[in-house]
Amino acid sequence: MSAPVVVSNLAKTFYDEGRGRIKAVDSISFECHEGQIFGLLGANGAGKTTTLRMLSTILTPTAGTASIMGHDVVKDPEGVRKNLGFYSATTALYPRLTTRETIEFFARINQYPSERVPERVEYLIHRFGLQKYANARIEKLSSGMKQKVSIARTVAHDPAILIFDEPTVGLDVLNALDVQETISELRSEGKTIIFSTHIMSEAERLCDRIAIIHGGRILASNTLAGLRESTGQHYLEDIFVLYVKAGLETV
Amino acid sequence: MVLNWKDVRVLYLREIRSALRDRTIVTNSVLLPIFLYPVLIWLAYTGVTFISGQNEELKSRIMLKDLPAAHAPLRKQFETDKSVVLNTSPNPAEDIHTGTLDAFVEFLPPASASGVADNFAVRVTFDESRDQSDRAKTRIDQIISKYRDDFLQQRAVSLGISREQYQNFKVDDKNLSSNRQVSAFMIILPIFFIVMLAVGAMHPAIDSTAGERENSTWETMMAAATSRTSILVAKYFYVATMSFIAAFLNLFAMMASMGTVLAPMFQSGRGTSSLRIPIESAPVILAGAALLALFVSAGMMIFASFARNYKEGQSMVGPFYIALIMPIMFFQTPGLAFTTRMALVPVANVMMMIREAMQGIYHWPLIGLTLAVEFGCVIIALRIAILIIQHEDFVMGSYNGSFGKFAKERLLGK
Repeated sequence: MSAPVVVSNLAKTFYDEGRGRIKAVDSISFECHEGQIFGLLGANGAGKTTTLRMLSTILTPTAGTASIMGHDVVKDPEGVRKNLGFYSATTALYPRLTTRETIEFFARINQYPSERVPERVEYLIHRFGLQKYANARIEKLSSGMKQKVSIARTVAHDPAILIFDEPTVGLDVLNALDVQETISELRSEGKTIIFSTHIMSEAERLCDRIAIIHGGRILASNTLAGLRESTGQHYLEDIFVLYVKAGLETV
Repeated sequence: MVLNWKDVRVLYLREIRSALRDRTIVTNSVLLPIFLYPVLIWLAYTGVTFISGQNEELKSRIMLKDLPAAHAPLRKQFETDKSVVLNTSPNPAEDIHTGTLDAFVEFLPPASASGVADNFAVRVTFDESRDQSDRAKTRIDQIISKYRDDFLQQRAVSLGISREQYQNFKVDDKNLSSNRQVSAFMIILPIFFIVMLAVGAMHPAIDSTAGERENSTWETMMAAATSRTSILVAKYFYVATMSFIAAFLNLFAMMASMGTVLAPMFQSGRGTSSLRIPIESAPVILAGAALLALFVSAGMMIFASFARNYKEGQSMVGPFYIALIMPIMFFQTPGLAFTTRMALVPVANVMMMIREAMQGIYHWPLIGLTLAVEFGCVIIALRIAILIIQHEDFVMGSYNGSFGKFAKERLLGK
């Protein structure tokens, strides 16, 4: 049985008036296995967000293929999106909806069975401790609460695959730890998670496998132990710098 | 991309719910269309009444000269009129010029021998450029006319005949047409109607496109498990609904405020019969409004979607709004007839159709042609929208340019 996420030679080229053709993602390949967290570790502009946007069918790849739960991102984008929860760096919530309305809206629009939506909404409100804020408008919530609602809306339709694009950007330490804990819990519930970050400690703590991405290319992809072994370095930061500087390709 | 009506409904209701919680949208699409007419008209009426009241309170300073002794009662009438004060002056023309006297009435011998004893001619000297002097002239006319009527009545009685027999004939007038003020108002109403329809669409169009980008919810929606067609159709219907609601409420407010607020503006009830929009005109007006709302919404969404935030959206939609209003400004001449050629001009044709319908006039072939032209405009606008959303950089908001640049580069291929 193939992995829930399979990426093969995926590439994306943009055209910019000033800079001409830009290869944002250059022929990358990887697989994510069920119940694992796959981390894309890279600096700003490395190609993480473009990769995740292609996987979530927001962008169309220039070349290569990718499939989510057997659905091709180009041929069957709606099938992909049905099995996917996408969480972006910004909170991306509708400010004038309440917490309850937000979760309900995303459950319905992501094709969660209609008759089970109310039950699912109540479950998620309790699951994320949002009871006090269930009927409050999003615009009135604190950043931490918004983050929780945002994760709740990402998992509203109970997708098998979750994509978290730099979820802790702009959060204070406590809220960031909260988010990390939630992601960890989701893994233990059997979700397959693709997680992008530029924070080494996050990748170390959360990821089952880490891919180091730089200049649109994956320079290394392995478990943390595997990366340590192949480089002889202990700290992920040192491993990252080593790969980026040497431009090694071990995949 | 498959259109899923169940998803469209969910998305549409989400848009409407958000919109009804937004102050700007509620103000522009709901409150303004309802209260524009009653409040504006009330303010205008109060202002006009106040100014005319101020003027009415001023007494006319009039000088009489050489009034025949036999007509002494006429002087009495001038003296008893509370709006008149009699003055004397050695140089009345100069005083009228300087503003210390308003009018000078000279009683002269009749121009021809009339055979009527004590007959006289009157010459009134006044300054038409001064309101107060002009008003004094009107008051003089009224006093002398009344005196003449009473005088003729007495003469008739002394001869043992009725006044009508004595006077031979009497001219009375009955005005079948609306007066000038009413006509002018009936021309302005459709313009307001279309302006409100456009204003009603403007903020929802920006909110659902540039606003989504600003909130970063656009990306979230692009990753939702529904087709992009469903998302866009729901947004389009939402903007068109808000535009149509603005137009509908505007029409309702017009109908409600016409008789109650407007009628008192037109004194003595002249022309007030035309101060009513016939209820049977509503389907024609609303059909025109519905198609226009669809066209305006598509146009505004196209322009607004090139913006990256709300503020930019307002400046992008501005030129389209002006382009929309310009034709109807050119076609507001009172005597302008609704012709076949005019029915081919988008937007202006709807205005002409609505103007006629408001007066109970229905040229069905022209109405049909107008609706067909507007429908064509809707199709063209949607076709352009479909061509635009096929470009990924546009959808993602990374396209750096306006609709004009996009049309030149991508649609026309220059």
